[in-house]
Amino acid sequence: MSFLEFVEGPLFLFAAGVFVLASLWRFVGIIRIGRKKDISPPKGSAAGGFIAGNFRHFFPRGIFARRTWLHIVGGYGFHLGLLALVVLGAPHVAFLEDRLFGFGWTPLPRWGFILVADVAFAGLIVLWVRRISDPVMRLISSRADHIGSILIFLVMLTGAFAMQESHDLLRAIHMLMVDIFLIYFPFSRLFHGFTFVLSRGNTGATYGRKGMNL
Amino acid sequence: MQDCFDHPSPRPVSQLAALLLTAVFVLLMATGGGFAQSVVPPGNAVNLDQTFGPSAPRGTESASDFWRAFRGGDPNDLLRVLPDGRAMTTTGQYWRAFREDYITVKVLWLPAIAIVLLALHQLLRGPMRISAGRSGKTIPRFTLNARVAHWFTAVVFIFLGLSGLTILMARPVLVPLLGNDISSVLVSAALQGHNVFGPLFIFALMWLFVKFIRGNFFQIVDFKWIFKLGGLFGGHVSSSQFNFGEKSWFWMVILLGSVMSVTGLALEFPWLIGDLRLLQASTILHAIGAVALITVSLGHIYVGTIGMEGAIDSMLIGEVDENWAKEHHDLWYEEMTGKSASDPTEDTT
Repeated sequence: MSFLEFVEGPLFLFAAGVFVLASLWRFVGIIRIGRKKDISPPKGSAAGGFIAGNFRHFFPRGIFARRTWLHIVGGYGFHLGLLALVVLGAPHVAFLEDRLFGFGWTPLPRWGFILVADVAFAGLIVLWVRRISDPVMRLISSRADHIGSILIFLVMLTGAFAMQESHDLLRAIHMLMVDIFLIYFPFSRLFHGFTFVLSRGNTGATYGRKGMNL
Repeated sequence: MQDCFDHPSPRPVSQLAALLLTAVFVLLMATGGGFAQSVVPPGNAVNLDQTFGPSAPRGTESASDFWRAFRGGDPNDLLRVLPDGRAMTTTGQYWRAFREDYITVKVLWLPAIAIVLLALHQLLRGPMRISAGRSGKTIPRFTLNARVAHWFTAVVFIFLGLSGLTILMARPVLVPLLGNDISSVLVSAALQGHNVFGPLFIFALMWLFVKFIRGNFFQIVDFKWIFKLGGLFGGHVSSSQFNFGEKSWFWMVILLGSVMSVTGLALEFPWLIGDLRLLQASTILHAIGAVALITVSLGHIYVGTIGMEGAIDSMLIGEVDENWAKEHHDLWYEEMTGKSASDPTEDTT
């Protein structure tokens, strides 16, 4: 078994398994903690607040938007760019068709792939550079934040390196980084990709129950 | 730095993650000889099985009559069409000779010379200290957005510089040192990474231009800086927010960076131009511009870090010591504070 076959085969399945099971384990664990019972009479809907809180936080409030536009643009650029990369990149579509779904879809052309990769890279670099340039951000950032940023950067960078698809080694290194990422994700701050729903929802439910306008 | 709001992960979770990652590397080691790679030609690779025309590098057929006729025409006639429908130009030979004899051999010495000169400066003269010492009081110099724009450009520039030098040095340096196989992997990775990061530089350039154009126009006071070579001769030189050296670097980045951007886009998307001679000229301009920027950037990095005490603060925390501002940017200090930079009664030490 070659290195490439190993990282795309058994190791990928193992990493994907860890990703799914550990994510479920942590997600269910967080939900099972539950919330402290609120004995005050409700003045609004907690469930409605949960949903409203989730959607409302996609958009910053005016006074914050002016001060944090860089963070907002960088954040959306990185996350949406990465999503488009994963879902619409031609090598990814081929891989997902071959290994997971059995069917594919129309991928982005090469120039489109480069464009979304640039949007994702720009967003990630802006977010990380801001993290180290802003004294407050620097103070509240821990090693885990930097490891997460660097790991996802390496996944994307090795993917860029492998774009020509001419060397198995480059593809294998990229897949190895993907496997490590999948294993690391559920146990790290990267898990905010799933828990943001719960945290926003919890805030929204609390205020919703108090009848506050979100 | 530890996060004041950070609650450490529960130990079992981090231990589990460490265990799983260890398992990955153990499994990797178990693959043994599986590291051997195969090389797949890219989609646009030359077909070595063809036996005629420029696609017959193995020389199974000389086709000398064809080539003699082809070569005998006007060397600048681009639209010489081969029997299989492709166009070819004979100017490529001059371009290749110039690139191999001058660009990859002689021009590449410039960054190396710059490193030696900077090392000598550091050894013989040492870093430029704040002569009055740090005052302990700071004044704001760069906003957060300006600092992010600077570091964004720096990250992209350094990556493009390293990957570009890898591409440029492949044949004269990497192949003799590392052999064909490893060099091939490195250059393929560098080229693809360079192509992805290239457009980011255009974005960075525009951002840099908007953020730093103010204060970078040349002034009369800059002539004094030139005559005293920035203080190397003739003592202290006055300067406003940016001195002549910084302004020159800014305009060099903007102007040469624009040339790099245009030529880079032409090379990354060659069908936008179509004319092979323009593409050949683009590779030459791109390489010369890159080496020039890399060479001067070494000086910028040196002065901004270990070469001048207090300079890095402006881009790390956005503030500089008042005495640093008085010594290096006295006119800007006076503008910012309303105080005289030379008045001893306002000494802040």
